[in-house]
Amino acid sequence: MSKDMKFLVVDDFSTMRRIIKNLLNDLGYQNVTEADDGKTALPILQQGGIDFLITDWNMPGMPGLDLLKAVRADSKLAKLPVLMLTAEAKREQIIEAAQAGVSGYVIKPFTAETLKEKLDKILAAPAK
Amino acid sequence: MSESQLKAQYGARVTTLLAAYDRGDEVAFLAVLDDMLHTRRPALFGELRELTCNLQVALDRFRVDSRLADLAEKDIPDARLRLAHVLKMTDEAAHRTLDLVEQSGPPAERTVKSAEKLLQSWQQFRARQIELRAFHEMLKGMDAFLPAAQADCELVRRNLAEVLLTQGYQDLTGQIIRGVMQLVEELEITLSGLTRLSGADASLAQQAERQTSGHGPAVPGVTQGAVASGQQDVDALLSGLGM
Repeated sequence: MSKDMKFLVVDDFSTMRRIIKNLLNDLGYQNVTEADDGKTALPILQQGGIDFLITDWNMPGMPGLDLLKAVRADSKLAKLPVLMLTAEAKREQIIEAAQAGVSGYVIKPFTAETLKEKLDKILAAPAK
Repeated sequence: MSESQLKAQYGARVTTLLAAYDRGDEVAFLAVLDDMLHTRRPALFGELRELTCNLQVALDRFRVDSRLADLAEKDIPDARLRLAHVLKMTDEAAHRTLDLVEQSGPPAERTVKSAEKLLQSWQQFRARQIELRAFHEMLKGMDAFLPAAQADCELVRRNLAEVLLTQGYQDLTGQIIRGVMQLVEELEITLSGLTRLSGADASLAQQAERQTSGHGPAVPGVTQGAVASGQQDVDALLSGLGM
């Protein structure tokens, strides 16, 4: 995957979207789109062109887990890499996300190194 | 019912009933008895309706009272702990930001001062007015300035990146504050339910339907169940699941 790949960052807090966007820019990824919950993210994903989804879990409207399930259930999006970046730290939730097909799980607060490490790992993995 | 009302309503029929009884007239006796029961039935239904209504009110009051007890004993102290955690997080984030800004001041200042000093010699050099000794001084200055400026600017850049990350507290505290706001809303509904018992049912049912969208950040001493203590814990868990 090249640095031209397009990210969609979904979080209900604009400060967090800004932080993630800045970190992605620092890593050389300049093509970043934003959405504030699953409901607004899904149409953007369905339009096509997004190469990587980073989503929060706890959002009003459509939570991140529902968005992940919707992505995996859509044949056109099923293989999209999805990184869950969330404050949800209960073990049962992490397992639930893994079972729903999440590609990576980072808990907040996080560091730039952790985000980079998970992105690299997901991008290096062969597509399932 | 007063004595005169009782006599007016039932007196004549009791007399007729007793007369039929004395005569051994079964048909007349039963007819009067049926008539008396028929008169009494609406009053019985009325009393039954009132009793049911009272029971409903008592049940509603019990439901509201027990939710109120829950709120007072568990949810309100939890909310206090949550808000204390918010206070701690905002305090830490503000101090971390201030630390980073303060740390960035001296290297930025150093770079400005050194550049100012070199600029003077540089302008003399460009105007071909520099003396040989000053030229050598400038070269020595440049040798020192370039790596120092690189290191100082790198430090400032790193600090700025960390200032940016530190602002992430707003997301976490925002989620906790939203949870407390929902609690306050529920408290409001429950309290108003005490005065308007009939309206309490629907609102309480609505509150119970919550918590499908996640629990928000873990709060020490409040969040129950197994919680990942950090990213390493998450990675270990996922690796255990074959990821």
